[in-house]
Amino acid sequence: MSDRTTPAGRATTRVLPAGDRHIVDRLSYGHTPALARQVRNAGGGLRWFERQLTPRKVKDRGTGAYLTWFPSLSRTPEDLYQRKKSGVEENWEVMNDYQSYVILRRTYSQRQVLELMTELWENHLHVPVGADAAFTWRKRYGDVIRKHALGRVDRLLQAAVLHPAMLLALDAGISTWQHPNENLARELLELHTVGRGEYTEDDVKQAAQVLTGYHVDLWGTFAFSYSTADHAVGPVNVMGWKHANADADGRPAARSLVRYLAHHPATAERIARKLVVKLVSDAAPQTLVRRLARIYLEHDTDIRPVLRALVRSEEFRDARGQKVRDAGEDVVATHRALGVRVTEPGEKARGTGNGWAAHTLPTQCQRLGLKPFDWPRPDGAPITDDAWATPSRMLGGSRNHWLMAGSYWPSRGIVYRKPTAWLPQRRMRFGAFVDHLSRTMLGVPATRRVVVACCRAADVSASDVVHAEHPVIVHRLGFVLTTLLDSPTHLSR
Amino acid sequence: MTTRPAPSAPTLSSTTPTCCAEMAGMAALSRRGLLRGGLVAAGTTATFGSAVLTASPSAAASAESVLVVLSLRGAMDGMSVVVPYGDDVYYEARPRIAVPRTELLAKDGFFGLHPRMKPLLPLWNGGELAFVHAAGLPSVNRSHFAAMEELEDAAPGSARREGWLNRLVGTDSVRSATEGVGLISGAAPTSLLGRQPTFVTQAIDDIEIPGPSWDAARARQRERGLRTMWKGEKGVLGRAMRQTFGAVDDFAPARRQRSRAADYPQGDLGAALADAARLIRADIGTDVITLDQGAWDMHSRLGTLEWGQMIRNVDELASALATFFSDLGDQRHKVTLVALSEFGRRVEENQNQGLDHGHGNVMMVAGAGVRGGQHYGTWPGLSMGVDSDLTVTTDYRQVLGEIVQKRFSATAVADVFPGLHYEPLGFLRQS
Repeated sequence: MSDRTTPAGRATTRVLPAGDRHIVDRLSYGHTPALARQVRNAGGGLRWFERQLTPRKVKDRGTGAYLTWFPSLSRTPEDLYQRKKSGVEENWEVMNDYQSYVILRRTYSQRQVLELMTELWENHLHVPVGADAAFTWRKRYGDVIRKHALGRVDRLLQAAVLHPAMLLALDAGISTWQHPNENLARELLELHTVGRGEYTEDDVKQAAQVLTGYHVDLWGTFAFSYSTADHAVGPVNVMGWKHANADADGRPAARSLVRYLAHHPATAERIARKLVVKLVSDAAPQTLVRRLARIYLEHDTDIRPVLRALVRSEEFRDARGQKVRDAGEDVVATHRALGVRVTEPGEKARGTGNGWAAHTLPTQCQRLGLKPFDWPRPDGAPITDDAWATPSRMLGGSRNHWLMAGSYWPSRGIVYRKPTAWLPQRRMRFGAFVDHLSRTMLGVPATRRVVVACCRAADVSASDVVHAEHPVIVHRLGFVLTTLLDSPTHLSR
Repeated sequence: MTTRPAPSAPTLSSTTPTCCAEMAGMAALSRRGLLRGGLVAAGTTATFGSAVLTASPSAAASAESVLVVLSLRGAMDGMSVVVPYGDDVYYEARPRIAVPRTELLAKDGFFGLHPRMKPLLPLWNGGELAFVHAAGLPSVNRSHFAAMEELEDAAPGSARREGWLNRLVGTDSVRSATEGVGLISGAAPTSLLGRQPTFVTQAIDDIEIPGPSWDAARARQRERGLRTMWKGEKGVLGRAMRQTFGAVDDFAPARRQRSRAADYPQGDLGAALADAARLIRADIGTDVITLDQGAWDMHSRLGTLEWGQMIRNVDELASALATFFSDLGDQRHKVTLVALSEFGRRVEENQNQGLDHGHGNVMMVAGAGVRGGQHYGTWPGLSMGVDSDLTVTTDYRQVLGEIVQKRFSATAVADVFPGLHYEPLGFLRQS
C-alpha cells in the first residue's frame, strides 16, 4: 500500500481521485489497494480502462487454475448426464461448481472488465442454470460468451443464440419442420435483440422456421448436431430480412438472421440502454443511449468503442455512487474488501454445513436472493437498483458481512487477514484507524458518521489509542469491519 | 387482503370503544404502512390523517385468510398419489409401478390414495382435504422451467412478467413485505415476483440484524452502529434499510413463536412448514406463504410400495402436512393450502420404472373452507401410447381462482387471473 506522511506525522493511506474511483467502481468488482495501485501505475482510470479492453495484454496469473478446482466443469455433456443418471453427481452440484468458478474469477482475475462484460452478456443472453438439461452445456456456454465479451456483438449473438445450451433452454434443440417450437425465436426477438413492440407474431413464426434443424440429443448423448431432414425450407421474411431458405442446411440462413437482427437499430438502442442502466444509471438518459446506439452501428457492433464513449460521457461522470450492488457484486466486493484468499477446496461436503469456502460462494449469493445465473426466467436477473434494495437483500448481505468480518464462516479453505495486519502502525487513535480501514477496504476516507458508527458498534471512543493488544483489535475488530461493509458506500458502486 | 380495522374511517374526536379498536389498528398501520411509505412522520396523533387512510385503507395486523402454496417441483406423478384405480388403463400402462387396488386408502369406487398418504386420512375423513384431478396448464408444456414460469405468471398473453401471488397481495394498497412471504432456499419463485414488495427468506430466524447472538449487550451496540451508519440516508438503499429495520420488527412476533420443527419430518419441506406455522401463529398480516417440495422428477426408479423414490416423497409430504395442520393453533380456521406441480407425468411407465414428462395432474386443497372428503373435476379417461398424457379437463387457474374468490373477499379473480373465464368447481364454501 502506498502511504504518504501528513504534516502531523500520521501515515494516511492514499485513495484514488474521485473520477478514477468512479471508473473502477463501475468497471471492476470493487476496490482493493492493489487495484488502486494498478490504476495509478497505468496513469489514471481511463488508461487503466483502455488496457483492460485488450484482456490478453493484462497479466492474469492464477485465474486459469480455478478450473482444476472443479473437475466436473471439464467433463463432456454426455459424461455429466451419465453421472446424473447414475446418481454420482446431480445437475445442481455441477452448476454450484460453475457458480463458484465465476465468482472466483470475478473476485481475483486481473481482467476485471472482461469478467464484468462477460457477466453482463451472460445475463443478457440468459441461460438459467436451472433450465432443463442445460447444465450439460452451461460451462461451455459461459466460455463462448467470455470469448466474445469485448468484441463484436453480431458474433457474440451468433455464437450464443445458436449454442446448444441456449437451444436446450429454449426448446430449439428439438424443433423440427413438423413441429417448429417458437420459444427461442420469440426470446431472440423479445429479449436478445430488437425487443417487444418491434416485431409481429408472424415474425416469430418465420424466425422459428429458420431455427429448425438444430439438434441436441436430449437425454441421450447430448451431442450437438444439425439435422437437415428437420429443417423447414422455404422463403422467409423476418422484420424485413428476406431469405430464400432453399437449402436443407439452414445454418447459414439462421446465422444471417441473427446477424441482421444484431445490426438492427432497435437492437442497437436496446443494447445501449442495457449498458447505460448497468454502468451509468437506471434513468438511462436518452441522449446517451442514442449516441451509444449510433456508435454501435457505425462500428459494426464492436462493443469497445461503445464502452469508450460511455466512460467518457458526462452522464457517466455525473452518476457517481448511484448504482446498487447486486447479490453477486456484494459477495465479490466483500471478499475483495476484506482481502481474504480462498484456497483450493478439498473433498466436497454434502449439505450446507461447514463446507469449503470455494463451494459456499453461491450460498453467500443466495442469502442476498440470487445465485449467479439462477434467475428462473429467460429475461435475465434485474439490473435496476430497486430490485437489489430490498429488506431480504439487506439482511442477507449483512449476515455475510458479519460472518466474514469476524472470520466465523466460511472457516475452511479460506485465509483471513489477521486482526493485527489491519493496523498500519503500532499505535493509533481509533478514529484514524477507522479512516485507514475505510480507505483500505472501500477506497474512500471515513466520514464523521462512519467513525461514530464504528465507535458505537465496537464500544470505543474515537480518541482511544488502539494497538495489537487492545480489546477492540483482539475481540471486536469484526464489529468494526462489519459496520464498514454494511455501509451505503460498500452497497453502492 | 387483510381485514379492515373498521368499515369506515375513524374520527379522532370519537371516544367510543370502536374507535379505540380502530386506533389500535391504525397504530399498527402507522408502523407498517406509513414508515414504509414514508408519507407522514411517525408517532403522534397527527399521523392519523386522511393521508393514512388513503395510503392504506385496509391495513391491520391480522390476515383475513392465509393461503399456503406448496409447489411440488419437478412434477409429481399425481396418478401414483391419487390413484384412478377405476380406470383399467392405469394398470395396463404401469405393469411394474402401479399401486395395487388392495393397498389403496379412502377408496370411493374410482380413486384411492397412496398408502403413504395415511397421515392425511384424518383431514380427509374430517372433510378438510379434497383433490382435483386432471388439472393443469391449458396446453402442453413439458419443460419444467418454462412450465413453472407459465404456471406462476398465470397471465397468458400479458407482457408484464409478474406472478399471480404478487398480484394477489397487490390488490390492496398495503405495501408491506410481510403480506407475501416465500420460505424458500432457491431464487424467488416467479409467482411472487412483481411490483408488490414480498419477502423471501430461507428461515424466519434469518430476519434479524446479524450480530453476536451470544451477547445481548454487544448485539445492541452492533445494531446501534448500524443504525448510526444509515441514519438519514437517502435514496433506494436508505429506504431499503428503513424497511429492513421495519421488517425485523414486523417479523419479531414470528421469531418469538416456538418452532416445532422437531415434530416434522427432517428436510427442507418440514423446516419450511414449521416456519410457515410460526409465521401464521404470530398473526402479523401474512396473507400468502409459498414454499417448495423438490425431487419429484422421477424419470427412473419411481418404484413400488417397497422401494423407490415415490414412497419416500409421499411419506415426507403427508407427514409434514399432517404436522403442519396440527401446528397452527388458533389460526387454523384461516389457513387454506394448495399443492400443485408444473405438469403431470405420462400415463405409461418407461424402461427405467419411471415416468416421463406429461400434462395433467392432481391438485390438492386442504384446510379452511374446503368441502373435503371428495374429488372434484372431470376424469377424461386414460389411453395407452408412449406419448399418452392425462388430458387436462380443469384449467389449474379455476382451482386457484376459486381460492382467491372465496378466501379473499376483497379480491376479484380477474385481477389475479386476467382473461380467465371463471367457473368455480365448488370445492370451497363461500366464506
